[in-house]
Amino acid sequence: MTAPTTSGLAAELAKVVDELRGVTVQVWTGAPGTGGAASGAGVLWDPQGSSGRGLVITNAHVVRGAQATVGLGDGAVLPARVVARDRKRDLAALELESSPAMFAQLREAPLQVGELVIAVGHPGGLVGVAALGIVHVVEGGRDDRRPRWIRADLRLAPGFSGGPLADMSGKVVGINAMVHGSLALAVPVTTVESWLRRAQAPAA
Amino acid sequence: MTALLESLSNELAAAVETAGRAVVAIHARRRIPASGVSWRPGVIVATNHTIRRDDNITVTLPDGTSAPATLAGRDPSTDLAVLKLPGQSLASASLRRDGPPRVGEFVIALGRPGARLTASWGIVSGVAGAWRTWQGGEIDSLLRLDLSIYDGFSGGPLIDAAGRVLGINTSGLARGAPVTIPVTTVDRTVAELLERGSIRRAYLGIGTQPVRVPQSLARRLELTNAVGLLIASVEPGGPADRDGVLLGDVLLELDGAEVSDPTDLLAKLGGDRVGRTVAARVIRGGQVKTLQVTPGERPEPRAA
Repeated sequence: MTAPTTSGLAAELAKVVDELRGVTVQVWTGAPGTGGAASGAGVLWDPQGSSGRGLVITNAHVVRGAQATVGLGDGAVLPARVVARDRKRDLAALELESSPAMFAQLREAPLQVGELVIAVGHPGGLVGVAALGIVHVVEGGRDDRRPRWIRADLRLAPGFSGGPLADMSGKVVGINAMVHGSLALAVPVTTVESWLRRAQAPAA
Repeated sequence: MTALLESLSNELAAAVETAGRAVVAIHARRRIPASGVSWRPGVIVATNHTIRRDDNITVTLPDGTSAPATLAGRDPSTDLAVLKLPGQSLASASLRRDGPPRVGEFVIALGRPGARLTASWGIVSGVAGAWRTWQGGEIDSLLRLDLSIYDGFSGGPLIDAAGRVLGINTSGLARGAPVTIPVTTVDRTVAELLERGSIRRAYLGIGTQPVRVPQSLARRLELTNAVGLLIASVEPGGPADRDGVLLGDVLLELDGAEVSDPTDLLAKLGGDRVGRTVAARVIRGGQVKTLQVTPGERPEPRAA
């Protein structure tokens, strides 16, 4: 039996995961040389031309202190500086000395309940693990307030924190931050962007 | 380009959106509301265990407005309840009646535990034949699911990738595990609840437990089935008591069918048996004796 649709889907899924892995970094708290499994993941973010430095977005709970270490997909390990942190939104911005070649494509358009989403992270010491799920609920709406979280029916484990949640074109829609039962909670990219604009991040 | 993947994603979202137009929130208990499905114009199907009161039931419609609904009937044995919601222009669910789904099919469970539609996805992990709930309800096929259900999902639909409803999900029939009541079972129950307000079931007023008949006795009595049902309790004044069934009798056959498990007994006590005299073979005092028993109509159990 041949299954052109399924084979095509599998190939496309692999492609999306591959692209996402390219913009997903490992994050260790503290200066390089501490070793061990990463404390979480991070996403290479568009630094918007600021002085040739690189920008990584992760969760506030992934990095403690002012120093962090970032591991890129190609194996390079770089020192990073925590330049902004917001515990309430569970976001942190890390600055790299030099800008990596790529960064995440973002989607700010609203999500639909039932659409497919994919998460990439580093649970249990494994690097670049993917999980597939669907959007569980779309909040906001009538009162026009921005939803605080994206909720996805998607099983995450510790180690996915700070990594990307993306749609099926590979565009990042949120930063994975929490597990609630079998739901994944992610910070929407619109929240990240407006926070970045306000914070004294190098991107501002 | 990831055209296939994006089409799949869009189709899933479209299925959710379409089917979601017939999913409502039911406010009939404390804490979070549960879900319900607009089965046909003016008729909402929900789960019995999430409707904790008979009056003052309100429904939140997909457009966010609320409307009062009246309880038309409930059936604890299948955990279904039917509400009437007249005068609303609410879409009815598109029902899939071509038999049970296949193992491996994509399915989505929808709920509306409040104003917003929620979804979880997975696959059908197993399909089996008819089964009987421990409350005696007949479910046409057993659907096992590999998906997570969330608070307030009971009463919501299980849909296929085209948005068609395969059944109503409930956590109230299998100790919290998700169970889907198939469309055919829902249809049958809805029809009877709308007509009578309850599901008619026959009952004898006995409590039983399976026992193995000692081999020597089984041989002497030439029994084909060595397991019978020991009558462990008899409801005073109930049908069995009236017809002379005694505590300690071992029931072997009812209406010509061997009974070796309490569910065999339930299978013989459908609504059509009420008032119909049938033969009951029992062992009493070491001898086989045939009694004539007439099942009565089971009194309405109170909603838990």
